[in-house]
This record gives sequence, C-alpha cells and structure tokens, in this order.
Amino acid sequence: MNQSMLPSVTLTTATPARPRRPWRSILRQRGWHIGADTLLALLVRGSAAVVIIMLVGLLWVLAAAALPSIRTFGWSFITGTDWRPNELQVPRKGPDGKIVIEDGEVAMDTLPPRFGALPVIYGTTVSSLLALAFAVPISLGAGLFLVRVAPKLRIAGAISFLVEFLAAIPSIAYGLWGLFVLVPFLQGHVESSLQGMLLKVPGLHWLFYSTIHIGNSAIERAIPMTGRDMLCGSLILAIMILPIITAVGRDVLAAVPRVQIEGTLALGATWWQSSREMLRFSRSGLFGAVMLGLARAAGETMAVTMVIGNSNQIIPSVFAPAQTMSSLLANEFAEASSPIHRSALIEVALILLVMSLAFNVTARYLVVGTEARTAAAH
Amino acid sequence: MFRSFHNSLTRAQSKLMFGICALFTVIILGLLGLVAGYLVSIGVGSLSWSFFTELPTGRPESPGGMRHAIEGTVILIALASFVGIPLGLLVGIYLAEYSKEWWLAGPVRFIADVLAGVPSIVVGILGYELLVVPLGRYNGWAGAMALAFIMVPIVARTTEEMLRLVPNTYREASLALGATKARTILRVVVPAATGSIVTGVMLAVARVAGETAPLLFTALGSRLLTRNPNQPFPSLTVQVFTYATGPYPEQKRLAWAGILVLISLIFVLNLAIRYMARRPGIAS
Repeated sequence: MNQSMLPSVTLTTATPARPRRPWRSILRQRGWHIGADTLLALLVRGSAAVVIIMLVGLLWVLAAAALPSIRTFGWSFITGTDWRPNELQVPRKGPDGKIVIEDGEVAMDTLPPRFGALPVIYGTTVSSLLALAFAVPISLGAGLFLVRVAPKLRIAGAISFLVEFLAAIPSIAYGLWGLFVLVPFLQGHVESSLQGMLLKVPGLHWLFYSTIHIGNSAIERAIPMTGRDMLCGSLILAIMILPIITAVGRDVLAAVPRVQIEGTLALGATWWQSSREMLRFSRSGLFGAVMLGLARAAGETMAVTMVIGNSNQIIPSVFAPAQTMSSLLANEFAEASSPIHRSALIEVALILLVMSLAFNVTARYLVVGTEARTAAAH
Repeated sequence: MFRSFHNSLTRAQSKLMFGICALFTVIILGLLGLVAGYLVSIGVGSLSWSFFTELPTGRPESPGGMRHAIEGTVILIALASFVGIPLGLLVGIYLAEYSKEWWLAGPVRFIADVLAGVPSIVVGILGYELLVVPLGRYNGWAGAMALAFIMVPIVARTTEEMLRLVPNTYREASLALGATKARTILRVVVPAATGSIVTGVMLAVARVAGETAPLLFTALGSRLLTRNPNQPFPSLTVQVFTYATGPYPEQKRLAWAGILVLISLIFVLNLAIRYMARRPGIAS
C-alpha cells in the first residue's frame, strides 16, 4: 500500500518532521541562501585553484630552497665539473710551487665544498638521448605494426594490453631486473667481447681508456668493464620508454585519416611506401610521442640509480660509470652533509624539473588534437 | 626492363620493412617476457608464507618477512587516496562541466597535464621541504602526501575524459525536468560515468603503488611495524630497494619476492581496468 494513498488527516496532526538538513534551514533563517549549486561550484573551483597552487608551490618551494646555492655558486654551478660535498685538505704551496713546511709539518689549506652540476647534466642528457636512439625505431616500427597489421590478425587488443602492462611495471622492478640480470649479462658476455672487437678498430681507443690529470701529468687508465655503466643505464631507460612511445605513437598513427592511406594504395604504393606516407603525415604527433619518452627518461630515477654506476665524472665512453640528476638526488639527498649540500641538490632538482616541464609542454603541444592525448596523460 | 627491376626492388624493400616492423613488435613482447619471466620465476622461488606474516629480524642470514612493508604500503596508499582521489575527482568535474570558464579551465587543464609529467623524485623533495623539515623528522604523512600529489593529475584528467563521454542529452533532459546544475552533475552525469571513473582511480592507485622515488626522502622506510604516520614509515618499494642494493643474498631473495607481490597486484589492477573499460559505462 502506498503511503500517499492514506487519508491526510494523520498528517495534519503530526508534529512537523525534523528538517533533513538542519544547517541549511538555519542558514536560511539568518538570510543566507546557499544552494547546492553555489556550494558545488565553489568546491570544484577551489579544487581547480589547488591544482594551480600545486604547480606554483612546487616551483616556489624548490626555488626558495635552492636560493642559497644559486647565490653562492651562480653560473659556475652549471659549468663546474667538481662535485665535492665535504671540505678538502690540501698541502699549501708556496709561490715557488713547493709544499710549505711550518714547524716541521706540512701546512694544510682547507678548501670549501664545491658543487658543479655539469657531470650530472651530461649524464642525464647522454643517457636519455642514447635511450631514445635505442627505443624510437623499435617503438615506431611496432606502432606501425599495431595499427596496420595487428587488427587484421585480431591480435591488436592482446598486444596493446601487454604493451600497456609493460608501461605499468614500476621503475624499481626494472631496476631489480637490470641489477641482477642485465648487469651480469653485459659484464660477462657483451662488454668483454665488444672490447676485443673494437679495440682493433683504430680511433676507438677512447672507448676503453680514460685519462686522469693530476697536476701536470696525465695518467691513462683502462676503464674496468663492470656492467654498471652508461650503456646499461641507457638500455634500461630504453626498455622503460618503449611502451610509452609505442602506445602514444600507435594512437597518433591510428588518427591518420583512412583516405590518406587508401589514396596512396590506390596509386599503387607498396606497404612500406604508404606506411612512410603515414609517418610523414603524423610526424608532429610522433615527435610529441618521442618528447614524452624523453621527458620520462630524464626524470626516471630508481632503475637508473641501480645500474648506472653512480660516479660524478664526465668520461666520454659509454662503458664508464656515470650519474644522472635523478640518481644523484636518490643517492645523496637523504644523507646530505650540510645545508649548502642540500641546497645544491635542490638546485639540481629544480634544473631537472624545468627540463622535464619543457619536454612535456612541447610534447603536449604537438600531440594535441589526436586521440593520443588521453594516453599521453598517463 | 629497368622499370620492372625498380619495381621489384621497391617491393623487396617493402617486404623488408614489413619484416622489420614485425620483428620490432616481437622484440617488445620478448622484452616483456624476459623481464616478467625473471621476476616471476625468481620471485616465486623466494616467496613463502612467512614473507607475509613475519617482521624483519635484523639478522642478514634469516631476514624474516615483509609484513611491515606490505601494511605500510597499504596504509600509505589509503592515506594518499583519501586526499588525492576526492581532489582529483572535483578537478575532473570542474574541467568537464564548467569548461565554459575558459580563463580558469584552460590553465588548469594545461597545468594538470604538466603536473602528470613532473619527475616523481622532485615531488619527494617537495614533500621533504613542506612536511619533513617542519616536523623535524622523516614521517609517513609526507610520503602519503607526495603520493597524493602524483594521483591528483591522473585522476583529474581521466575523470574529465570520462565525463565528456556522457552524451549532452543526459544533461539537457535533467535540466529540462527542473533539476539544478549541481543535482544534474551529481545525480545524472557522474553516475552515468561511474564505471570508467573507477578505472581512472585504479590506474592512479596502480601507479603510486609502485612509486619509490618520492618516498625516499619523505617516509624514508623503516624496519619496524608501525601504524603511526608521525614516524618514519615502511613501504614495500623502499624496502625492496634497500634489500636489493644491500650486500646480503637472503635479503636480495626477499626483494625479488617483494617485487613479485607488487607486480601481481599491478597486473590484477590492470586486468580489472581492462575488464571495466570494455563494459559500456553509458547505456546508449
């Protein structure tokens, strides 16, 4: 029996029901009228403002914390190659270049800590570019295959799922795999045989020897093939950015109008000729996909930290250990020895942030307008 | 004669490039098989019941289990979700339903995109400056908030995309019946897209579950079972990193097991996302 069908007598005698939202009627009595509309609009606008505050706050906090380092080192922070968090004791030298001896002991000078970020900027740049060189051809080839061939074989869904899963594997898992599988493999099987082959090629000497300058003398030293080096870092990065470039590249290629492909085929183009036309047609979107990969490679931390060798030096060989900006942060930040050390590390983070923001903004500008935008947001 | 030679050359080139593209696809899948295969095969060998039930013993030769880290990760994700998901949802609603306010919606959409690309280690440093320095010690809140920071843009952008898929006729019908804008959004538009919004939320959870870098200088990690976020807080990923880079083989085995647990969780989330995305969220 429906309640509303009952005679209304009982209703008139009943005490007035308690209002369901007492706070609202109280507000109304006082002349305040806040509807749900206004409330929701305020709430969502406030949240939207929070997003802006998040970015501005991020830049502001980092810049403020990096200020002592920026003031102390200025431009030499970017051009300097010395990264020395602790004070250094060196023997004092007289004007004649000889060591000064006072009271029978060698007189020592204390050098203050110095911070130059060039080695880590070099490390990030080179490892990311090498990773792109490995990953881009493979990704774009696979993207073409996914768009043009896989749907006919009815395997596009399955392959896409696997590629997306590859993208979802966390960085630390790649790091673990790199440390315990890739590093021993490179050390045991690849690098020694490469050394055997390439050393015979004239002009490749620098790949296997580094020169250290001590005072006026230069010492040449063979680089030990440990497997934990720039090559391994770049390979791990390449594996990690393969899925993102493949996924975004696939979406960009899928957005090429059908007529464009059919037109080339009608003119008698072969499979590769029409594919090349597709690549040319969507080149700006594909470039955006590559930039996204670059941004991810530059900001990647854990896997690189575990395999790149972590050594603040610039050695042109890919077989030498290196350090990236993010791996430097991961290694040193928690145990920073002094406020200026911490400030210098935060300046590195600020440079890294600005770099990856630049890559991301470019990428999104280029990918805009295609379906790939959603994929890019992940 | 020359022409047909050229033709066959072009055709051969096309076949070659086709083969290369197919090969590249196989390489990607092969890499997946290689990575996942190693993680699973070594991880399964190292996995045992005590992994889930025991705490670290402090003795390298019999390091115990990772119960503290599993609980820690769950608590961190819960705390991060508590802040990140509602905020992300509200931003997503704003971007989809109030997009006429171009002066705010345009910049916010752009910034949400940009935030999604911020390196996670930089977010960790923000957490350090804002929550570790004032409290004077590494703590769980800082870790959770760093994770929430990463969740917001992911949830916001997927929510926006999903709300945009709801046909405009739904909104018009609701408004025509006299419903207010708020009622239309909360009772008609959002429920119509709930399935796919949940997908976006799970995507964000899967992403932060595997994050390590933002936790290094915020939650720091801990060998103790703790539920107090004012203290240094354990998490699966940081514990795996500590064990993997340490010198003891028994701890390395635990690291493999930890990664297997993490990957399985993410794989299940991905399967669920795929299943939910396939179901039409909107009846047409």
